[in-house]
Amino acid sequence: MTRDKNLPLTETVYYILLALLEPAHGYLIMQKVEELSSGQVHMAAGTLYGAVENLLKQKLIQPVHSEDSRRKVYVITDRGLGMLRQDYERMRHMIEMTNTILG
Amino acid sequence: MKKFKFFTNFDHEEQWLNEMARQGYVLTGKSLSYEFAQVQPENANFRMDYRTFKSRQDFEDYKALFEDSGWTHIAGTRSSGSQYFKQTGAEGSEDIFSDVDSKAARYKRISDMWLSLACCFIPLFAVLISTDAIDVTAFLKPQLLYYTPGLWDMSGGQFWRAFLFETPFAFFRGFTWMMIPVMILVYSLFAYKAKKQYEKTQQGR
Repeated sequence: MTRDKNLPLTETVYYILLALLEPAHGYLIMQKVEELSSGQVHMAAGTLYGAVENLLKQKLIQPVHSEDSRRKVYVITDRGLGMLRQDYERMRHMIEMTNTILG
Repeated sequence: MKKFKFFTNFDHEEQWLNEMARQGYVLTGKSLSYEFAQVQPENANFRMDYRTFKSRQDFEDYKALFEDSGWTHIAGTRSSGSQYFKQTGAEGSEDIFSDVDSKAARYKRISDMWLSLACCFIPLFAVLISTDAIDVTAFLKPQLLYYTPGLWDMSGGQFWRAFLFETPFAFFRGFTWMMIPVMILVYSLFAYKAKKQYEKTQQGR
Protein backbone atom coordinates (compact mmCIF):
# COMPACT_ATOMS: atom_id res chain seq x y z
CA MET A 1 0.00 0.00 0.00
CA THR A 2 1.40 3.37 -0.95
CA ARG A 3 1.35 5.88 1.79
CA ASP A 4 -0.85 8.99 1.53
CA LYS A 5 1.14 12.03 0.41
CA ASN A 6 -0.01 13.93 3.50
CA LEU A 7 1.81 11.47 5.73
CA PRO A 8 3.68 11.75 7.98
CA LEU A 9 1.64 14.47 9.64
CA THR A 10 3.45 17.38 11.23
CA GLU A 11 3.45 17.52 14.99
CA THR A 12 0.96 20.40 15.07
CA VAL A 13 -1.43 18.79 12.58
CA TYR A 14 -1.29 15.53 14.54
CA TYR A 15 -2.21 17.29 17.76
CA ILE A 16 -4.97 19.34 16.10
CA LEU A 17 -6.56 16.18 14.72
CA LEU A 18 -6.22 14.50 18.07
CA ALA A 19 -7.82 17.52 19.75
CA LEU A 20 -10.71 17.47 17.28
CA LEU A 21 -11.89 13.98 18.17
CA GLU A 22 -14.28 16.15 20.13
CA PRO A 23 -15.79 19.31 18.59
CA ALA A 24 -13.93 22.52 19.46
CA HIS A 25 -13.57 26.13 18.31
CA GLY A 26 -10.30 27.80 17.42
CA TYR A 27 -9.10 28.94 20.81
CA LEU A 28 -10.11 25.67 22.45
CA ILE A 29 -8.04 23.82 19.82
CA MET A 30 -5.03 25.96 20.75
CA GLN A 31 -5.46 25.14 24.43
CA LYS A 32 -6.00 21.43 23.79
CA VAL A 33 -2.92 21.21 21.57
CA GLU A 34 -0.85 22.78 24.29
CA GLU A 35 -2.30 20.45 26.90
CA LEU A 36 -1.97 17.28 24.77
CA SER A 37 1.65 18.10 24.01
CA SER A 38 2.43 18.83 27.68
CA GLY A 39 3.15 22.43 26.77
CA GLN A 40 5.62 21.45 24.02
CA VAL A 41 3.56 22.76 21.10
CA HIS A 42 2.38 26.30 21.40
CA MET A 43 0.35 27.66 18.50
CA ALA A 44 -0.29 31.35 17.87
CA ALA A 45 -3.63 32.56 16.52
CA GLY A 46 -2.55 33.30 12.94
CA THR A 47 -0.81 29.97 12.60
CA LEU A 48 -3.75 28.01 13.97
CA TYR A 49 -6.18 29.83 11.67
CA GLY A 50 -4.09 28.89 8.64
CA ALA A 51 -3.73 25.28 9.83
CA VAL A 52 -7.49 24.92 10.32
CA GLU A 53 -8.06 26.40 6.87
CA ASN A 54 -5.70 23.82 5.33
CA LEU A 55 -7.28 20.91 7.19
CA LEU A 56 -10.73 22.02 6.02
CA LYS A 57 -9.45 22.16 2.45
CA GLN A 58 -8.04 18.64 2.77
CA LYS A 59 -11.36 17.53 4.31
CA LEU A 60 -9.60 16.13 7.38
CA ILE A 61 -11.87 18.23 9.60
CA GLN A 62 -15.31 19.76 9.06
CA PRO A 63 -17.40 22.53 10.59
CA VAL A 64 -20.27 21.51 12.83
CA HIS A 65 -23.14 23.43 14.34
CA SER A 66 -22.00 25.99 16.88
CA GLU A 67 -23.94 27.38 19.84
CA ASP A 68 -21.67 30.40 19.77
CA SER A 69 -22.67 32.77 16.96
CA ARG A 70 -19.16 34.18 16.60
CA ARG A 71 -16.98 31.10 16.91
CA LYS A 72 -16.98 28.27 14.42
CA VAL A 73 -16.73 24.74 15.78
CA TYR A 74 -14.90 21.93 13.99
CA VAL A 75 -14.62 18.17 14.34
CA ILE A 76 -12.46 15.50 12.73
CA THR A 77 -13.84 13.71 9.63
CA ASP A 78 -13.61 9.96 8.86
CA ARG A 79 -10.84 10.79 6.45
CA GLY A 80 -9.04 12.71 9.18
CA LEU A 81 -9.49 9.86 11.60
CA GLY A 82 -8.05 7.43 9.04
CA MET A 83 -5.07 9.69 8.57
CA LEU A 84 -4.54 9.96 12.31
CA ARG A 85 -4.67 6.16 12.69
CA GLN A 86 -2.19 5.61 9.86
CA ASP A 87 0.23 8.07 11.34
CA TYR A 88 -0.20 6.51 14.76
CA GLU A 89 0.63 3.08 13.28
CA ARG A 90 3.66 4.58 11.56
CA MET A 91 4.96 6.01 14.82
CA ARG A 92 4.17 2.87 16.79
CA HIS A 93 6.20 0.88 14.32
CA MET A 94 9.08 3.31 14.73
CA ILE A 95 8.89 3.00 18.50
CA GLU A 96 8.76 -0.82 18.37
CA MET A 97 11.76 -0.92 16.07
CA THR A 98 13.64 1.54 18.24
CA ASN A 99 12.79 -0.51 21.31
CA THR A 100 14.06 -3.70 19.70
CA ILE A 101 17.32 -2.19 18.60
CA LEU A 102 18.04 0.43 21.19
CA GLY A 103 16.00 -0.71 24.17
CA MET B 1 -3.59 62.42 13.58
CA LYS B 2 -3.55 61.07 10.05
CA LYS B 3 -0.49 59.86 8.26
CA PHE B 4 0.01 58.63 4.72
CA LYS B 5 2.60 55.97 4.18
CA PHE B 6 2.98 52.96 1.97
CA PHE B 7 4.62 49.67 2.85
CA THR B 8 5.32 46.54 0.87
CA ASN B 9 6.80 44.75 3.86
CA PHE B 10 4.65 43.71 6.83
CA ASP B 11 7.64 43.42 9.17
CA HIS B 12 8.66 47.02 8.47
CA GLU B 13 5.07 48.19 8.84
CA GLU B 14 4.76 46.47 12.24
CA GLN B 15 8.05 48.01 13.39
CA TRP B 16 6.91 51.46 12.28
CA LEU B 17 3.59 51.13 14.17
CA ASN B 18 5.45 50.03 17.32
CA GLU B 19 7.85 52.95 16.92
CA MET B 20 4.90 55.36 16.56
CA ALA B 21 3.43 53.96 19.81
CA ARG B 22 6.77 54.54 21.54
CA GLN B 23 6.44 58.18 20.49
CA GLY B 24 2.90 58.33 21.89
CA TYR B 25 0.87 57.73 18.73
CA VAL B 26 -1.19 54.58 18.83
CA LEU B 27 -2.93 53.22 15.75
CA THR B 28 -6.71 53.45 15.94
CA GLY B 29 -7.71 52.87 12.32
CA LYS B 30 -6.54 52.45 8.77
CA SER B 31 -8.36 53.36 5.61
CA LEU B 32 -6.39 55.22 3.00
CA SER B 33 -4.30 56.77 5.73
CA TYR B 34 -3.21 55.58 9.13
CA GLU B 35 -5.17 57.12 11.98
CA PHE B 36 -3.42 57.66 15.28
CA ALA B 37 -4.55 58.77 18.70
CA GLN B 38 -2.17 60.62 20.96
CA VAL B 39 -1.52 58.63 24.15
CA GLN B 40 1.17 58.15 26.77
CA PRO B 41 4.19 56.66 24.97
CA GLU B 42 3.95 52.88 25.31
CA ASN B 43 5.70 49.71 24.24
CA ALA B 44 2.92 48.38 22.05
CA ASN B 45 3.09 45.19 20.06
CA PHE B 46 1.37 45.55 16.70
CA ARG B 47 1.18 42.60 14.31
CA MET B 48 -0.22 42.22 10.84
CA ASP B 49 -1.90 39.48 8.92
CA TYR B 50 -3.17 39.56 5.36
CA ARG B 51 -6.50 37.87 4.71
CA THR B 52 -9.82 38.47 2.99
CA PHE B 53 -12.99 36.62 3.95
CA LYS B 54 -15.80 35.05 1.98
CA SER B 55 -18.45 35.83 4.58
CA ARG B 56 -19.05 38.10 7.53
CA GLN B 57 -19.24 34.99 9.71
CA ASP B 58 -15.77 33.87 8.67
CA PHE B 59 -14.45 37.32 9.54
CA GLU B 60 -16.16 37.31 12.94
CA ASP B 61 -14.77 33.85 13.70
CA TYR B 62 -11.29 35.02 12.74
CA LYS B 63 -11.47 38.11 14.95
CA ALA B 64 -12.90 36.06 17.83
CA LEU B 65 -9.95 33.64 17.66
CA PHE B 66 -7.46 36.49 17.89
CA GLU B 67 -9.35 38.19 20.71
CA ASP B 68 -9.47 34.90 22.64
CA SER B 69 -5.70 34.60 22.27
CA GLY B 70 -4.91 38.07 23.52
CA TRP B 71 -4.96 40.24 20.40
CA THR B 72 -7.23 43.23 19.81
CA HIS B 73 -8.30 43.73 16.23
CA ILE B 74 -7.53 47.38 15.53
CA ALA B 75 -8.12 47.83 11.83
CA GLY B 76 -9.04 45.92 8.71
CA THR B 77 -12.31 44.95 7.06
CA ARG B 78 -13.63 41.76 5.53
CA SER B 79 -12.18 42.65 2.16
CA SER B 80 -9.33 45.03 3.00
CA GLY B 81 -6.76 42.27 3.29
CA SER B 82 -4.45 43.88 5.82
CA GLN B 83 -5.52 43.07 9.37
CA TYR B 84 -3.95 44.98 12.25
CA PHE B 85 -3.70 43.50 15.72
CA LYS B 86 -2.42 44.89 18.98
CA GLN B 87 -1.40 42.67 21.86
CA THR B 88 -3.99 43.16 24.58
CA GLY B 89 -1.95 42.33 27.68
CA ALA B 90 1.45 41.03 28.56
CA GLU B 91 0.37 37.38 28.58
CA GLY B 92 0.17 35.14 25.53
CA SER B 93 2.56 34.85 22.63
CA GLU B 94 4.75 37.64 21.29
CA ASP B 95 3.67 37.05 17.72
CA ILE B 96 0.48 36.06 15.92
CA PHE B 97 2.47 33.36 14.11
CA SER B 98 4.27 30.50 15.78
CA ASP B 99 6.04 29.06 12.75
CA VAL B 100 7.97 30.38 9.79
CA ASP B 101 5.64 28.94 7.15
CA SER B 102 2.52 30.70 8.40
CA LYS B 103 4.46 33.91 8.95
CA ALA B 104 5.63 33.73 5.34
CA ALA B 105 2.23 32.72 3.93
CA ARG B 106 0.79 36.23 4.40
CA TYR B 107 3.33 37.45 1.83
CA LYS B 108 2.14 34.77 -0.56
CA ARG B 109 -1.45 35.90 -0.15
CA ILE B 110 -0.68 39.58 -0.77
CA SER B 111 1.55 38.68 -3.72
CA ASP B 112 -1.31 36.74 -5.30
CA MET B 113 -3.61 39.71 -4.73
CA TRP B 114 -1.24 42.15 -6.51
CA LEU B 115 -0.77 39.71 -9.34
CA SER B 116 -4.49 39.22 -9.90
CA LEU B 117 -4.94 43.00 -9.81
CA ALA B 118 -2.23 43.38 -12.47
CA CYS B 119 -3.86 40.65 -14.54
CA CYS B 120 -7.22 42.46 -14.39
CA PHE B 121 -5.76 45.30 -16.44
CA ILE B 122 -4.22 43.12 -19.13
CA PRO B 123 -7.46 42.38 -21.04
CA LEU B 124 -8.40 46.05 -20.81
CA PHE B 125 -5.05 47.00 -22.27
CA ALA B 126 -5.41 44.37 -24.99
CA VAL B 127 -8.81 45.77 -25.95
CA LEU B 128 -7.43 49.30 -26.19
CA ILE B 129 -4.63 48.10 -28.43
CA SER B 130 -6.79 45.93 -30.66
CA THR B 131 -9.39 48.67 -31.17
CA ASP B 132 -6.66 51.16 -32.10
CA ALA B 133 -7.78 53.35 -29.23
CA ILE B 134 -4.14 54.00 -28.47
CA ASP B 135 -2.58 56.54 -30.77
CA VAL B 136 1.14 55.92 -30.78
CA THR B 137 1.74 58.75 -33.26
CA ALA B 138 1.18 61.10 -30.31
CA PHE B 139 4.72 60.21 -29.26
CA LEU B 140 6.15 61.28 -32.61
CA LYS B 141 3.89 64.22 -33.32
CA PRO B 142 2.61 65.55 -30.00
CA GLN B 143 1.49 68.76 -31.74
CA LEU B 144 -1.48 66.81 -33.12
CA LEU B 145 -2.86 66.59 -29.60
CA TYR B 146 -3.48 70.36 -29.53
CA TYR B 147 -6.87 71.37 -30.86
CA THR B 148 -6.75 75.18 -30.44
CA PRO B 149 -7.39 76.61 -33.93
CA GLY B 150 -4.36 78.38 -35.32
CA LEU B 151 -2.24 77.61 -32.25
CA TRP B 152 0.91 76.92 -34.20
CA ASP B 153 0.63 80.22 -36.13
CA MET B 154 0.48 82.30 -32.97
CA SER B 155 3.56 83.92 -31.54
CA GLY B 156 4.97 85.40 -28.34
CA GLY B 157 2.83 85.73 -25.24
CA GLN B 158 -0.35 84.77 -27.03
CA PHE B 159 1.22 81.47 -28.15
CA TRP B 160 2.58 80.60 -24.72
CA ARG B 161 -0.69 81.39 -22.98
CA ALA B 162 -2.71 79.21 -25.36
CA PHE B 163 -0.03 76.52 -25.42
CA LEU B 164 0.34 76.23 -21.67
CA PHE B 165 -3.39 76.38 -21.17
CA GLU B 166 -3.98 73.45 -23.48
CA THR B 167 -0.97 71.35 -22.47
CA PRO B 168 -2.71 69.53 -19.58
CA PHE B 169 -5.67 68.74 -21.82
CA ALA B 170 -3.40 67.59 -24.63
CA PHE B 171 -1.48 65.40 -22.23
CA PHE B 172 -4.70 63.92 -20.92
CA ARG B 173 -5.90 63.29 -24.48
CA GLY B 174 -2.75 61.54 -25.59
CA PHE B 175 -1.36 59.73 -22.60
CA THR B 176 -4.15 58.74 -20.22
CA TRP B 177 -4.02 55.21 -21.60
CA MET B 178 -0.47 54.95 -20.26
CA MET B 179 -1.93 54.71 -16.76
CA ILE B 180 -2.92 51.14 -17.61
CA PRO B 181 0.49 49.70 -18.53
CA VAL B 182 2.01 51.70 -15.69
CA MET B 183 -0.45 50.17 -13.25
CA ILE B 184 0.17 46.69 -14.63
CA LEU B 185 3.88 47.27 -14.11
CA VAL B 186 3.57 48.72 -10.61
CA TYR B 187 1.23 45.96 -9.40
CA SER B 188 3.51 43.31 -10.90
CA LEU B 189 6.45 44.88 -9.11
CA PHE B 190 4.57 44.75 -5.77
CA ALA B 191 3.66 41.12 -6.48
CA TYR B 192 7.29 40.34 -7.21
CA LYS B 193 8.53 42.08 -4.06
CA ALA B 194 6.00 40.24 -1.89
CA LYS B 195 6.96 36.94 -3.52
CA LYS B 196 10.64 37.61 -2.77
CA GLN B 197 9.77 38.45 0.83
CA TYR B 198 7.73 35.24 1.01
CA GLU B 199 10.72 33.17 -0.07
CA LYS B 200 13.04 35.07 2.23
CA THR B 201 10.78 34.60 5.25
CA GLN B 202 10.27 30.94 4.46
CA GLN B 203 14.00 30.38 4.46
CA GLY B 204 14.03 32.01 7.87
CA ARG B 205 16.63 34.59 6.95
